[in-house]
Amino acid sequence: STGDSWGIFTFLCAALCNLPALPALNCSEELGAGQSIQQTYDLTRYLEHQLRTLAGTYLNYLGPPFNEPDFNPPRLARAERVPSATVDLDLWRGLTDNARLAANYRAYSRLLCYLRVLDGQVGTAELRHRLAHFCASLQGLVLSIGGVMSSLGYPLPAGPAAPPAPPGAPAAPNDFLKKMDDFWLLKELQTWLWRSAKDFNRLKKKVPPAVVTLRLEARGF
Amino acid sequence: VSPAADPAVISPQDPTLLIGSSLVATCTVSPDFPLKAEDLYWTLNGRRLPAASYAALGPSTLSVALARLNGSRQQSGDNLVCHSRDGGILAGSCLYVGLPPEKPVNITCWSKNMKDLTCKWAPGTEGETFLHTNYTLKYKRRWYGQDNTCQEYHTAGTYSCHIPKDLALFTPYEIWVEASNRLGVAVSDVVMLDILDVVTTDPPSDVHVSRVGDLEDQLSVRWSSPPALKDFLFQAKYQIQYRVEDSSEWKVVDDVGNQTSCRLAGLRPGTVYFVQVRCNPFSIYGSKKAGIWSDWSNPTAASTPRSERVVGSCDPKGGEQNTTLRRELKQFFGWVKKHAYGCSNLGIKLYDQWRVWLQKSHKTRNQVGKEP
Repeated sequence: STGDSWGIFTFLCAALCNLPALPALNCSEELGAGQSIQQTYDLTRYLEHQLRTLAGTYLNYLGPPFNEPDFNPPRLARAERVPSATVDLDLWRGLTDNARLAANYRAYSRLLCYLRVLDGQVGTAELRHRLAHFCASLQGLVLSIGGVMSSLGYPLPAGPAAPPAPPGAPAAPNDFLKKMDDFWLLKELQTWLWRSAKDFNRLKKKVPPAVVTLRLEARGF
Repeated sequence: VSPAADPAVISPQDPTLLIGSSLVATCTVSPDFPLKAEDLYWTLNGRRLPAASYAALGPSTLSVALARLNGSRQQSGDNLVCHSRDGGILAGSCLYVGLPPEKPVNITCWSKNMKDLTCKWAPGTEGETFLHTNYTLKYKRRWYGQDNTCQEYHTAGTYSCHIPKDLALFTPYEIWVEASNRLGVAVSDVVMLDILDVVTTDPPSDVHVSRVGDLEDQLSVRWSSPPALKDFLFQAKYQIQYRVEDSSEWKVVDDVGNQTSCRLAGLRPGTVYFVQVRCNPFSIYGSKKAGIWSDWSNPTAASTPRSERVVGSCDPKGGEQNTTLRRELKQFFGWVKKHAYGCSNLGIKLYDQWRVWLQKSHKTRNQVGKEP
């Protein structure tokens, strides 16, 4: 199915371009920025689809009330470490292309870190397998965004945030609070994917491929 | 603006309990919050607990009594939550209710070509422990003190582990499995074995089945001994199993010994047979114990010849058979045109290959008898 081939594509991309700091020309040289944006957009839709299944399984693992449709726990101060996608509409509209892309890049880099920690702690083999698959796809998205940024001549934001504080430090002080953190992580991931689709749709309209090639030549790449 | 302190504190926080035990939990609202004991209520796994089980222990402390707890609904723990009157969550505690593990049992191990060791076992508990249980396979050389831990799990099913290297031959190993969860640890009995006693290998390669001249009731089977073991002193014994194309009943030839060929006799004329061979590398380096049978080789097909004279009494449905045969031949030639590209070698072998292909594509039968 299309879903599977996207998964393989992103995994290959992740395997081939290991560091986000690599000259992105390796990954997107042949594609105009316009095409890369389209592919990034498609990736976010694919991830959104994958997340639905992952979240369903994970929330069932956490048990009720976490898997109830109307569950809406308080967001405690500690949950703020996960970057929030919600932003003032005017602010969002006014973002420059660079800022828009950078916000996405930073957010997914951090979300990926948190998800990877989750992968190490989770109980069942089925969940670990799903999480690993999702992380690989998410890594592909981060690289794809990095590729778009580089092809447009924008510098990548300072590398992905250092892995979350060492275990024991600001990690959740008890198991229930950890479940709430996990719940909010998945929620933020979902919100970000919804938002990214709109971000990339907006970028698509603003960046025609022809313009990009000229800009690359001008910069002497 | 989010509060700096948590709204309330539950005690005990994330306890571990035996099935059937009782628990009294308390929820104490933080002094920064204007809530009193009567403004609170409890839920367990999303369901409200009856007010009859509550007791106010202070102006801002409410307790709940839970009796005869069942095993946890999910391995991540039951969710016991303290709510304010409007449903808001103030605090939560995860209850881990279950049983300690039982000794793992039935440890069986095998070594592929003496290069590694894979072991599998079964959990002791018939039912569930309700808690996440960790299994660790450990091994050590007898008389050499140092315990080693197996690292690669789930290679041959959920309860299995694979030791890929650094295994010594001619020395007994002690192997055991430890099961642990929040309520305790259980250790299996120790199994003692020498790698050489549990060797298995690949199935024989190059299995050829051919006719014996014009003999109608015989087929000759030839194979090569598994290449991986060719450098080691061992005697192999082989087993052959064969069946008629339309049957799922395998006949086994057991006493094949150390040869790499065998003649099958007493077969039906003009019939297609499927044949498989497997190998047991017993007596490696002189060890007297039996090894472990390999998997069966992929089935090879061959047909016994049928003499020209078709005796009426042997073919009660003579006429019917002719049309079936004609139809088959038509299908066969159609297949040949597609796959053989005008190759002139329309020998019997090609016809037999086609029969095998037909079997596979119709999926009419599964292989039977993989395990002894």
